Amino acid sequence: MARDLAIDLGTANTLVYMKGKGIVLNEPSVIAVNRQSGEVLATGHDAWDMIGRTPSYIVAVRPLRGGAITDFDITERMIRLLLQRVGVSRFTRPKVVICVPSAITEVERRAVTDATRRAGASDAQLIEQPMAAAIGANLPIDEPVGNMVIDIGGGTTETAVISLGGVVALEAIRVGSFDIDAAIQSYVRREHGVAIGERTAEEIKIQIGSAEPGPQDRSADIRGRDLVTGLPKTVRLTAEEVRFAIDEPVTAMVLSVKRCLAKAPPELSQDFLARGMYLVGGGGMLRGLAERIQRETQVPVNMSPQPLEAVVLGAGHCIENYQALRGMFMGTRR
Amino acid sequence: MISMSFLTGLFSFLAFVSGSALLVMVYLDNRKVRIDDGIAKFRRHIDALSPEARRSSVHHNNPEDRWSR
Ligand SMILES: Nc1ncnc2c1ncn2[C@@H]1O[C@H](COP(=O)(O)OP(=O)(O)OP(=O)(O)O)[C@@H](O)[C@H]1O
Ligand SMILES: [Mg+2]
Repeated sequence: MARDLAIDLGTANTLVYMKGKGIVLNEPSVIAVNRQSGEVLATGHDAWDMIGRTPSYIVAVRPLRGGAITDFDITERMIRLLLQRVGVSRFTRPKVVICVPSAITEVERRAVTDATRRAGASDAQLIEQPMAAAIGANLPIDEPVGNMVIDIGGGTTETAVISLGGVVALEAIRVGSFDIDAAIQSYVRREHGVAIGERTAEEIKIQIGSAEPGPQDRSADIRGRDLVTGLPKTVRLTAEEVRFAIDEPVTAMVLSVKRCLAKAPPELSQDFLARGMYLVGGGGMLRGLAERIQRETQVPVNMSPQPLEAVVLGAGHCIENYQALRGMFMGTRR
Repeated sequence: MISMSFLTGLFSFLAFVSGSALLVMVYLDNRKVRIDDGIAKFRRHIDALSPEARRSSVHHNNPEDRWSR
């Protein structure tokens, strides 16, 4: 008998929850493909190690970049491999719940469910990420109180107000933590004349990046390729510079949270003031981001103890209670 | 002759009335079931989201269940 699965198919990380077992897989959403033959050469951590370091016949890509399904064929193969790795075969056909960005289009929605069915699932259902995050973060969404969740991932920022088991207000943009990496990359290129890879940019973000000035502000030496000479070069980057460089995507995230607050019914506003908002997702771990959102909205912000797992745990809960929670799935909402 | 057709008329009238009454009862009963059904479904949905229900799935994997402010 196949065990049913919940999958968080994130732009940055993929997690799989198996019914009755918990999280069984957690790795980067990266796939390496042979350009000529189309064969898959590696996935997950192995493929991640290859990013920016492959010979020309290999491409290592994040197929879900930007929170959108950019390449249906590769996405399908990724889902197929994922199911194989956790033991799904032609004879065991599990039910699968997949978390997707709520901004996903109808076409993308169909593509994901079709791909999952073709890959061996007997039933494929979708659930919105912020809803899954609220369940997984243990918020009291079974009560008639306003629960506000902010999920900042690699490719998307989604804010939702949830009460009595349903979404009351939702605001999603396709700006995420990858856009912060890209902003760092282009800043270093523009201001220092040095090219750096996306992995280096991510490291800089995690090491010295911040959304608000703080006591932990420091500088770092970074290595890249001089655009003029083509030779390796080291430059010093300060925390303040990085803050300036990433201001645009960070501001977009904060504005999106504000728009969601404005959409929520006034009755719930007092709940937010009393209970605060809840921040999940890897992008929410950016230093000072919670403080910045708190300062600009005047609403307290709580940081999840498990920002990277909340979404898949919530979807996992839906697979454990499949019948009772059918109404949560996209397309079946009444 | 007259009494025969009178009886036929009476019986068909009675048959019609009881038939429609039955239909109305079945309809009302169905509606009640549907209303009850909605309530039960909603209760199941909400109950499945209660902290107790989430203890095994979410809590289990979430030992450090404290939010920091
Ligand atoms: N300490 C940190 N500071 C800042 N950013 C971080 C930190 N740790 C992880 N990140 C970023 O978080 C992102 C991954 O978060 P997460 O796994 O929640 O995304 P995802 O769920 O795959 O994406 P999405 O929800 O948009 O599909 C990456 O871009 C990573 O660089
Ligand atoms: Mg996510």
